[in-house]
Parts: sequence; C-alpha cells; structure tokens
Amino acid sequence: MSIHPLTPASRTAAEHPVELVTEYFARAIDALADWREQLSTEIAAARADAPLTTDRLDELVEPSALRLFDTVDLPVYGSGFIAALDSLADANSHLAWWQGPERAQLVLASQSINKEHIDYSELEWYRVPFQTGQPHVAGPYVDYLCSDEYTITVAAPVHIDEVFVGAVALDLLIDRVERDLTPRLAAFGDDISIVNGVGRVLLSTSPARATGDTIRGDDLDAFERFACPGMALDVLIAR
Amino acid sequence: MTLRSAAPRSGRPTRLHSAVFQPIGDEGRAALVERRIAEAIMGGVLSAGERLPAEPELAAAFGVAPATAREALLVLRERGLIVTRRGRNGGSFVADSADPVQFATRALLDSSRVSLRDAGQHYVAITAACVDLAARRADPSEISSIRARLERVDDHDLAAWRRASDDAVIELAALSQSARLTREQMKLQGEFSPLLALIDTDATSRRASRDHLLDVLSAVGTADAEAATAALREGTRFMIDWLIAYRERHGAAITAPIATVPASPAPAASTRPERSRP
Repeated sequence: MSIHPLTPASRTAAEHPVELVTEYFARAIDALADWREQLSTEIAAARADAPLTTDRLDELVEPSALRLFDTVDLPVYGSGFIAALDSLADANSHLAWWQGPERAQLVLASQSINKEHIDYSELEWYRVPFQTGQPHVAGPYVDYLCSDEYTITVAAPVHIDEVFVGAVALDLLIDRVERDLTPRLAAFGDDISIVNGVGRVLLSTSPARATGDTIRGDDLDAFERFACPGMALDVLIAR
Repeated sequence: MTLRSAAPRSGRPTRLHSAVFQPIGDEGRAALVERRIAEAIMGGVLSAGERLPAEPELAAAFGVAPATAREALLVLRERGLIVTRRGRNGGSFVADSADPVQFATRALLDSSRVSLRDAGQHYVAITAACVDLAARRADPSEISSIRARLERVDDHDLAAWRRASDDAVIELAALSQSARLTREQMKLQGEFSPLLALIDTDATSRRASRDHLLDVLSAVGTADAEAATAALREGTRFMIDWLIAYRERHGAAITAPIATVPASPAPAASTRPERSRP
C-alpha cells in the first residue's frame, strides 16, 4: 500500500463543486503536460541515435513514470507511456507501464509474446488524445488490460514536430477517487454527482446513485449541469 | 484429526464458517506458473512457435524468483508444451505441435455431460449478469464500436475470428462497469475459448454462434436487458448442445469406464433437463 501525502488544507477552500473536481483532475493533467514535453525531447534525441525499440523506450520512460507516483498529489495507481501504433522499430504496439502497490512493470502476455495482438487504437485513453491533440480524462471503465479494476485514466498526447508518437498517462482507481472526493463534495450537498461524457456516474454524494450507472435523457431534468473546464466531466447538482 | 475449528460465539458453525478450514493444497509457486502457461498454450492464447519472455522477464512478470520460473519452464519442456533453443535467437518457444483445437478435443472427450452442462450454467450465470448490467448502463456508441470491430474480421481466418469474438465478449462484459464480473468473465472466456474454437471449425456452427453474439450485442445496444439475456441463454445452450453432440459422435464410448454397458442414446435435442424456465 502506498502512502499519499495529506491534502493541504488550502485545497478544501473551493467555492463550488466544479472548482473542486476540476482542481483535482487538473493535478494529473498538469503533471502530464510537463512530462509530455520532456519525453518528447527525450524520444527525439533517442531516435536521432538509432531506431527506437521497446527496450530503449522502457529505459526512457521508467524513471519519470515512477517519479510520478510520488510527485503528483493523487492516488496514482499506474503510470507510463503508450506508444503510437507502428511507431517503434521492433513492435507495432507497446505500453511502457508501471502499476500497483509494487509499481511493477506491466508485462502483457500478448504484448511480449505476440506483438501483433494489442490494438488499443479505439480505447478512449489512446483514441481521444490522438484525435484531439489534447489531454483527456478517460473513464470510468473496467480496465481489463492493465489494472483489472474500475479505473480513470488521464492521458496526454506526446508529439514530435507535430506528429503524434504516443500518450503519457496515469491511472486512478475509482475506489480511491471516491474516498478522496466524496466527503469533500458532500460539504456542498447530498445529491451531487460527477458524470463523464456519456453520463456515466463516477461518484455521487447520494448513496442511492451507483457508480457506473448512467444519468441521461429526461432524468437529467432533475439536475443543474456544470461542465468542468478542460476535461470531459460534468458535475450534476440535484435541483 | 485433533484440530477443531472454533465455533463462532453466536452459535453453531455455519457452512461458510467450515469452508474457511478446507484444505488449500500444497501446490508450489512453480506449479502455479507452470499451470498458468500450460493453460495459455492449451487454450491457444499462446500459439505454436511463439517465443516466451526470457527467464528474468518471466520471473518479474509472475513475481517469482528466477529459479521458480526456470523450474516451471523445465516441467513445461518435459510435458512437450515448449521447446528451448540455444544461441543468439534462442529462448523458449511454444512447441510447434501445440494445437489448441486438439487439446480442446481431448478435454471435451474426457468431460462428462454433467460437467459440460454445469460449465454452461456457470457461463450463463456470469455472462448474463454482465449483459444485463451492460444493457442498463452502456451507451449505444460503445456497443456499435464493438460490433464494428467484430464485423471487420473475416471469419474464415479462424484464429483471428476467435480472438475478435472473445475480445468482443470481454469488452461487452466490461460495459457492465463491474470489475469483479469482468474478471470472472475473462477467466471463463479463457476456459471456454478452446472449446469455442472447436465449434468454429464447423462453418455453419461458427455462423450460428456469430449470429448469437450479434443478437446479444443488438439487444444491449437498444438497452433491452431482457432480450439480451434471453439471446445469451440461447447462444450458450447452442454451444453446450453442440459440444455434447460432438462428444457423443467422437468416441465418448472410449472414455466410458465400463464397456459392457451399451452407451445410452444421445438425448433428443428437445430434452434439456437442466434448463428450467424462470
């Protein structure tokens, strides 16, 4: 079990639930924004020497990926880089990924053994940063590839000379996000929910609203809806 | 036995209470690693000729000591599931003779009808729960992208079709938004995949199972949980019936313990004693 620093008292001073939620996930987006600049330079330099291989990429990514666990004030469960498809010399896809209490490197059987098998081009944490060129808060979703848990992945695209080479990302387990945010949101009301782009409930201060359910259509009439700037999340507050 | 389990203070031990003190077996870590890899080879997840990760990488992946990984590889080699080649491009490879359909056939012929029916019930219990939740929770766009991926695959390429089809089921299960159910589904799918691959070898049945899967997806896409679980039940019944019929045709008699008793005729397709309608 990793130990995370206590949230500074100043962080609880949000005046609106949207501020609180936005500030929380922006910590991930900001950290990834710094990292993607750095990694872009590192990958460009490595490529100037020789075609980039999975082993070389792992070496480049590992120190920063591991550092992210300690430097971001979030319960980071996994961290790493997802290479753009067909961007490496010796594999058509690769996740340079570290996760779990041990921060162990992820070894996907199908990845290390048959490099043809993993196609993550349509998964939200790859697809959206690739298509929009912007960071994205993806999920919640059951991550059957990496964590095997109900997960949020924050991902930011990495470009070299405006060409997409992959995405840096970090995973948060909903279990931990719920513990972090629910008590703080509860200070604002007893029926406040965070939902994603398809109306899926990430968490709610109302015990009656289950994480994973969707709120859509006519059901939305019962809420005031506030968009979180810079991320595809909305805060729904019961009228 | 002198060991007595302490009864809970509230009264008599419950059934769950006594389950705590069941034997856990003494299977070692090497045997666990060996079994995991053997299952992947027999299930076709690792196919003939593929290279296994190097010993240290394997040890790290499983979280065991390198000596443990080595021991597991040794047994896999003895079982003929892997071969080891020396030299610069050396390493451990899945044996060329490893054919998941053959493994599945052997496993199927070794199974009894009762165990196949029971496996089918287990599959329905988990998958129907996933499908039911997915129908209530999934966005239609999520279903159409699963469908689109499935429809892009040419089902004449049996290995590609099986992989795409298994992936579609797992993606569908994940739309339940339940991590526990998805993990269960992944385990089950791994177990069933070689048997499904056997069904795939028959073109007509392959089309039929494809249609069953598409029926489930359509129903989930229109948020019709009842139709989705009904379609899932029908697909699973088709699968188990097919496997039992295959087993009857291909020498179930060989494995019958007493050859003097003539094998009873296969049950008519209409008698499915285990399926009571709710």
